[in-house]
Amino acid sequence: MHVPWTFKYKPKTLSEVIGNEDAKKKILKWIKEWDENPPEKRALLIYGPPGTGKTVTVEALAHDLDMELVQSNASNYRTADAVQRFAGRASRYGTLFGKKRLILFDEIDGITGSADRGGLRVITQIIKKTDSPIILIANDAYNPRFSTLRKFCQLIKFKRLRKTQIARLLAKICTMEGIQADPEALKLIAERANGDVRAAINDLQALAEGKKRLTFDDAAWLRSRDRKEEIFNVLRRIFYAGSVRSALRAAQETDVDLDMLLEWIYENLPYHVKDPKELASAMEMIALADVYRGRIATTQNWSLMRYYLDFMTAGVSASWSRKSHGWTPFRFPSRIATMSRSKAERGMLGEIGLRIGRRCHISADRAAKDVIPFLRLIFQINPEMRKGLARWLGLNEDMVNYIIGKDQ
Amino acid sequence: MLVKKLTKGAKVLSYEMWTEKYRPRSLDEMIDQEEIVQRLKSFVKEKNVPHCIFAGPPGTGKTTAALCLAQDLYGSGYQEHLMELNASDERGINVIRETVKTFARTKAMGEVPFKILILDEADNMTSDAQQALRRTMERYTETARFILIANYSSRIIEPIQSRCAPFRFTHLPEDQIRKRIEYIAEQEEVAVTEDGMKAIIDLGGGDLRRTINILQTAASTGKPIDEETVYSVVGRANPADVREMMLTALNGDFIKAREKLRELLLKYGLAGSDILGQIHNEVFRLSIPENWKVKIIEIIGETDYRLMQGSNEEIQLSALLAKFVEAGEEIKRES
Repeated sequence: MHVPWTFKYKPKTLSEVIGNEDAKKKILKWIKEWDENPPEKRALLIYGPPGTGKTVTVEALAHDLDMELVQSNASNYRTADAVQRFAGRASRYGTLFGKKRLILFDEIDGITGSADRGGLRVITQIIKKTDSPIILIANDAYNPRFSTLRKFCQLIKFKRLRKTQIARLLAKICTMEGIQADPEALKLIAERANGDVRAAINDLQALAEGKKRLTFDDAAWLRSRDRKEEIFNVLRRIFYAGSVRSALRAAQETDVDLDMLLEWIYENLPYHVKDPKELASAMEMIALADVYRGRIATTQNWSLMRYYLDFMTAGVSASWSRKSHGWTPFRFPSRIATMSRSKAERGMLGEIGLRIGRRCHISADRAAKDVIPFLRLIFQINPEMRKGLARWLGLNEDMVNYIIGKDQ
Repeated sequence: MLVKKLTKGAKVLSYEMWTEKYRPRSLDEMIDQEEIVQRLKSFVKEKNVPHCIFAGPPGTGKTTAALCLAQDLYGSGYQEHLMELNASDERGINVIRETVKTFARTKAMGEVPFKILILDEADNMTSDAQQALRRTMERYTETARFILIANYSSRIIEPIQSRCAPFRFTHLPEDQIRKRIEYIAEQEEVAVTEDGMKAIIDLGGGDLRRTINILQTAASTGKPIDEETVYSVVGRANPADVREMMLTALNGDFIKAREKLRELLLKYGLAGSDILGQIHNEVFRLSIPENWKVKIIEIIGETDYRLMQGSNEEIQLSALLAKFVEAGEEIKRES
């Protein structure tokens, strides 16, 4: 089974969480104050860049102090009602077995104005009268949307981790995985992660999982992987190459994933090639590259790879005469952009899709495309059918509202 | 069953998706796809089913056929012998390794010595997962038979294809769809005018699921369904339109035409082959020189073949749109 190492090596106790010692002490002190009376500020707002250990610190804390952790993150829907349901009661009453309770709102950056209307306001109200400690986590505490909320919170900052701290942790993981790692390789991974432990561990796993040794060369390609600058460079060289050979070489010399490169070329081509005849010819070359990609996938015959590469580079380059149209910026492929929609939205739509899919024998994806547009109309037109169908499909009120409101 | 009784007694509004309420429960109830149904019935008779691939466009009865086969084969407790997985929801290699294996290796109880595993949207599986699947299929043939469902069978790797009996589902003919829609309308006591019926069938485009969804949505208005109701319903569910996309390209705006294409593919979930079919229908109605119509048909044909071979829908159709831009430009110059 494939287990992400970020999960496998997640700290269980506070002492295992690396870095940010001061912040951890402050949190502990604040929590201890609750033993007497609620402190002046009944909530903490922990903030800092991704991968600095904010969430694991809170989870480890709850574990160490044997508290019941009630948490909500961006994959939950967080309207005023939803927040009230989730935390309203929890903040006022004790737990069943007398354990103390700790309430955590993770990723509050993700509480959006439209989809989670009123969520922040209700959180503020709950904080004012809570009997249990509440912790909020955000990347940016100084977002204007949090200005009211901030007044009721003690702020605690988490900093990026130092390169040496990260490298030490990576070394520990390698030992436990039985991997002999070159310290220089670990330093490079740590450096590239820029203070983000999660990113560093993910990179380490990608590079080293299943290996006996990790060398500096193994890690070196991280330097150029999928970096925007790198992609722009290759695109520039392909689009404006002096000859078909240099276009081909541009792609051969890069570490950019070829499928990704094709997406970038396909997205940007029409913004650079304006002549209809040349555009048609260049698009045909992209289409041919795609045909070969398909042939490789079905036959598993990787020697066809060279044609895939030829068409997407030399083919495109040879199709047009490069009259300069001035500076045209490169655009991020929208096919990829649609995949990286906000976590919250994907979570909601995905869950609705799955529920419909379970009833209708289709995938969540197809449900979203085929069924939801019709369902939206039915829900808008006929309240009685809406109620009945929602029950039959197992959709809750939030989901129904999401379906009705979206795109309208 | 309970729902059925209620509807029969008094007129109670139905609270199911009609696509499910009227999904056939046995091969005998299936409309059309006669040859396929005959072969599947012979499997039931012999109590032996090979690994199968059901390929064809959306809404032509692939999943229904697989479910009916299982119900006819195992009878009322068929769920115990059946596992339904959707590769789009769980397309990772781990699902194949774990879930499928666990299901496949335990022996079936009863007189049929194997279980059935339906793997829907199998063409969305990564090729790694397909490789893993191939081995699983081989190892557990004794205890489990696989039915892979796909829009394009060519997106399934050859080693799997060669282990499966292929079944090609085609768009349902109009008269069969009409019969089914009339039957559902009658059961649900909705009045449909003749032009309303024509519009429903037309806009359904041979996809029965879509056609039934149109009917149910139009019925939710509570009024007799006429042409206007149908068009307003579908118009609101489906604002982008193939003809508009073609005209945009012919007028020289490739980028906007590509955006419309994306809308059709991603947002409204049309299959590439369906869009291509509609483009083909429209070509002869366009006011462009005759020789160009033929040139364009040639490219459409080639694109269609490439899609069948499993190429990327958006990229191939975009290349076609670029040809429209070129055609538009030359036509302008000639006149």
